[in-house]
Amino acid sequence: MASNSALESTIDKILKNTEHDILTNIKTGLDESQQSLDDAIPKLESEYDKIISDGKKEADKIEKQITGSSDIEVRNKQLMVLEEAVDKVFSVALDQIANADRSGDYSNLIKTLIEEATKILGTSDISIFTNAKDKDAVQSALSQFSGAELLSETIDCLGGIKVKSKDGAMTFDNTIDARIERLKPLIRKEIAAKFGVGN
Amino acid sequence: MAAQGRIVWVSGPAVRADGMSDAKMYETVTVGNSKLVGEVIRLTGDVAFIQVYESTSGLKPGEPVVGTGNPLSVLLGPGIIGQLYDGIQRPLRELSKASGSFIGRGITTSAVDMTKKYHFVPTVSNGDEVAAGNIIGTIQETDLIEHSIMLSPDHKGGKLSNLVSEGDYDLETVLATTEKDGQSVDVKMYHKWPVRKPRPYNKRHDPTVPLLTGQRVIDTFFPIAKGGTGSIPGAFGTGKTVTLHQIAKWADSQVVVYIGCGERGNEMTEVLVEFPHLKDPRSGKPLMDRTVLVANTSNMPVAAREASIYTGVTIAEYYRDMGKDVVLVADSTSRWAESLREMSGRLEEMPAEEGYPSYLASRLAEFYERAGRVQAAGSPDRNGSVTLIGAVSPSGGDFTEPVTTHTMRFIKTFWALDAKLAYSRHYPSINWMNSYSGYLADIAKWWSENISEDWFNIRSETYGILQREDTLKEIVRLLGPEALPDEEKLILEVARMIKIGLLQQNSFDDVDTYCSPEKQFKLMKLLVDFYNKGQQALKEGAALSDVRELGVVSILLKARIDIKDDEMPKLEQLEKDMHEQFKSISGVKVSN
Amino acid sequence: MTAEGGVQYSKIAEIKGPLVVVDDVENAAFDELVEIETTEGERRLGKVLEVGNGKAIVQVFEGTTGLSISGTNAKFVGKVMEMPVSKEVLGRVFDGLGRPKDGLPDPIADKFVDINGEPMNPEQREYPKDFIQTGVSVIDGLMTLVRGQKLPIFSGSGMSHNLLAAQIARQASVVGKQDDFAVVFAAIGVQYSEAEYFRRSLEESGALKRSVLFLNTADDPAIERIITPRVALTVAEYLAFELGMHVLVVITDMTNYAEALREISAAREEVPGRKGYPGYLYTDLSTLYERAGKLNGRKGSVTQVPILSMPSDDITHPIPDLTGYITEGQIVVGRDLFRQGVYPPINILSSLSRLMKDGIGEGSTRDDHSEVSNQVYDAYSRSQEVRALAGIVGKAGLTEIDLKYLELGDTFEKEFLTQATDENRTIEETLTLMWKIVSKLPKNEITKIKDKHVEKYYQEE
Repeated sequence: MASNSALESTIDKILKNTEHDILTNIKTGLDESQQSLDDAIPKLESEYDKIISDGKKEADKIEKQITGSSDIEVRNKQLMVLEEAVDKVFSVALDQIANADRSGDYSNLIKTLIEEATKILGTSDISIFTNAKDKDAVQSALSQFSGAELLSETIDCLGGIKVKSKDGAMTFDNTIDARIERLKPLIRKEIAAKFGVGN
Repeated sequence: MAAQGRIVWVSGPAVRADGMSDAKMYETVTVGNSKLVGEVIRLTGDVAFIQVYESTSGLKPGEPVVGTGNPLSVLLGPGIIGQLYDGIQRPLRELSKASGSFIGRGITTSAVDMTKKYHFVPTVSNGDEVAAGNIIGTIQETDLIEHSIMLSPDHKGGKLSNLVSEGDYDLETVLATTEKDGQSVDVKMYHKWPVRKPRPYNKRHDPTVPLLTGQRVIDTFFPIAKGGTGSIPGAFGTGKTVTLHQIAKWADSQVVVYIGCGERGNEMTEVLVEFPHLKDPRSGKPLMDRTVLVANTSNMPVAAREASIYTGVTIAEYYRDMGKDVVLVADSTSRWAESLREMSGRLEEMPAEEGYPSYLASRLAEFYERAGRVQAAGSPDRNGSVTLIGAVSPSGGDFTEPVTTHTMRFIKTFWALDAKLAYSRHYPSINWMNSYSGYLADIAKWWSENISEDWFNIRSETYGILQREDTLKEIVRLLGPEALPDEEKLILEVARMIKIGLLQQNSFDDVDTYCSPEKQFKLMKLLVDFYNKGQQALKEGAALSDVRELGVVSILLKARIDIKDDEMPKLEQLEKDMHEQFKSISGVKVSN
Repeated sequence: MTAEGGVQYSKIAEIKGPLVVVDDVENAAFDELVEIETTEGERRLGKVLEVGNGKAIVQVFEGTTGLSISGTNAKFVGKVMEMPVSKEVLGRVFDGLGRPKDGLPDPIADKFVDINGEPMNPEQREYPKDFIQTGVSVIDGLMTLVRGQKLPIFSGSGMSHNLLAAQIARQASVVGKQDDFAVVFAAIGVQYSEAEYFRRSLEESGALKRSVLFLNTADDPAIERIITPRVALTVAEYLAFELGMHVLVVITDMTNYAEALREISAAREEVPGRKGYPGYLYTDLSTLYERAGKLNGRKGSVTQVPILSMPSDDITHPIPDLTGYITEGQIVVGRDLFRQGVYPPINILSSLSRLMKDGIGEGSTRDDHSEVSNQVYDAYSRSQEVRALAGIVGKAGLTEIDLKYLELGDTFEKEFLTQATDENRTIEETLTLMWKIVSKLPKNEITKIKDKHVEKYYQEE
């Protein structure tokens, strides 16, 4: 049948066209997906790189933070240990001073301390405080300072004297404790140097 | 009999001492165990009020104060040029030898090297009658400075004897003696002079010669005369210091005294580093060979800041008396006024405006009065000048504050720096509407005789364009540029060209940093010509865009940078090109 | 040090504001350090402001709250206030008077240094010219920082100045040898969180061990603030000039310092200058700022980046005004840009680095740097004018060239100015961006750049 065959050929044609279309479509799709896949790879790679580099940055940051902090921690521990050592040296030295022999040179020391104090206060009209141990030494030195009197109440210190002007306006602390306190920063440096620390 | 007292009170730079009834006002004293330098500024009974030029940290009541019998003085003689002094003429280089990188206290040094030998050439003879201020001989101080040896202005005069013959001598050598009324006086290469006392002169001249600075906006628009006074006020960041440095570098004077008064340390360092490498455009010698620096930076003791101005101006007068033109630049007079205010406060004086003392105005007047072009005292006849230029640092950039307003009363040239211009990087940021010069008429003759007869007219024309632009700008601000007719648009365009091509100047550019008067005039003339030709072209029917797009425009704008002072023929060529190009656009219209 | 001083006086004549007036005083010196002991045995520090006629006026750093006329003692120590310094201060945290705040003992001193310092001899200064790459484009490109400079940040309350200062401190420390670099940070009356932010930022960049922190926070005594920058700068000078380090000093906030100064001045009943600040504010500030610099023959440098908040964002207020007259330029943080969310919100037109010209160019950055930066300034300034005009007459009223400037302004803010807080740009990157901006203009608009540089760097579309 001519009509039939015409129909068939038409159907065939349509089918072929469709098939071609489909095939082309598939091919384009394939190409496109291939393309986008190709495109995706560098994108992915760069994304990957970014993640890695961000991570690395973060890791760097954390590493720096950790090493930095641990450096400081180690150093700080050292400082604490050193300070303990310095404290020990101090307490031993102070013990020795507290129990030192109160004769001979010591009374000269007391005399110098009083002299210094009167000079600084600019008057010898003074009252002197001292601890129980040093009372005798101070009493015997007193004869050389007219206007100076020793008060009966005692103060708590390692040794030496504390001086007050009689009007009560000025006080000068010349106890051994006060003198050591004034010198402490220098003494600490010396001790630290003996431990091999410091500049 | 020198006064010998004891400190009774200390507060910052102010010290009171009793037992000082022998002290004189403004006498120099040494203060305390560390012998700090101070000056008596008030006497009440036997109590002297002393301002101390060094840090008083650690000073105690009870420490001694000893008078020197002399007022605060400077040593004037060869060796000053090239030095960097503190406020009381101590060389900072010598101070560093004594105390290292930081400034110590209680150091005494000599202002110049007293043992250095100079070749002395006598210009008088034994038996001559000499008088105060007379020159007796000369020496060469630096490559640039021939230094006249003068009798002190307070010398009694007399008959000259024992004059040494030409030869090399140091500063302490007695060069001659003078005899008068049986008294003989030794003359050496130097003498001393109290800083607060102006040096006398014979007579004053009118300032008629411009001080050329190579800065176009100054020389062409707001000139200053030799012997004149000028002030440059500006908020921070407006380029005050750069402008002052430019003047110090390029001014056509023989000596420059630069006072860093309460300013930045690095700025003095910059001068010290830069000037020895810069060449004087006229002689080709290093600029340091004509420069003296006085530095009392902001963090140095405040009392010495007050003295630094007087130290500087006395040195300037000394070189003036040799017949030289001297420029003194003081940066900043506001800091000097603040030091007055601080001492006044410590004296518990009644304050006037903003806490400044009531004598602020008279002190400023006295200072600026020391400027002038004069015939020096003594023979031979010679004329010299001191030009005074003071920076002002108004707080908040407010020109109505006391230091600015009082200064304006005593100066004749006013360069108003403008923060808005500086923000848009228009340097020097001298505002052409607010600035003025009182010397314009006086110095016009010089320009007409030396550069061009047209100078005054062309300058007025140029300035006129800028004034027109200023009023037009208001309209533009409201209506936009398109609202203007073409000839007014051309005014805006040319004003822009004047700003970029003439008023602006790049001090960091090798070519642009200095501009000869010839080039200044030519650039200005080219711009005015461009304007006139442009207006004519518009009248003849050319479009504004034709004028705007002429090739010559961008060349005109860059000519200040691209064409050197010694390439004037290039500017002539530019003029020819401009005329040709204008012909071409009017030609097009005619053929239409 | 042993015999001199140490006298304790108990006659207190007057207590007013931060001041204590002691009577019957002999042998006290101007500027001397004073230990005030309260009835409870608490010790506070102070110094002598004025001495004479048997009276000493003492300024108490930790305030006078709780002091009484009877029972208060004043001990004159016989020396001015000193700060113990040694290499060991690195990595430490101190309070506003320089006492340990980190639970560790006092540093073992290499020496004790007067905290007031001495003025540098200008003749002995070395002119600063070594470029510091901060990695922040707008600074490196347009307001270059150099070693030994003092370049403050002018900001306002609540703006991102601390972020910026921290970024500068972090990034500037990266270049060059680590060993050479140190950061000294002084917090003056700022909130604890701000100080803590800075500390953490240094910690995260690993720079904490090369840093020294001095903290006077908002709840610490106000008068102590007079001392904080001085102890910090004393340590900085030691690290720089004795140990040869390049020290970056960040001080925040100078406004609190000036207020403490005003408080003392008011208590002394001095004649005030502008806005109640003392007439000597300029001189006083200079004794801090001028401690930046380099010295001949010494390796190190002290670079200062002080931060101050301008009251009501007013740049003519005495504190920013006087600061600007002393410092070598200023970095101005702008409210408008900040509101638009721009970081760093720097207003370039009012910002400036005076020492830039010597720190840039061939051999340090690039030969075209100065010219291109001038052109960017000029162009951005034009773009701002055009923007203002466009706001009135609309874009239609603008010329073609005006529109180009308008576009340029946007590019400038979006691509050049804007930068992430952890973005560290090289100077090459910065200069390339600057040329990108300039290349928005036709060549005949470029008036500040030499032709040879235009040929070499102009980016054709």
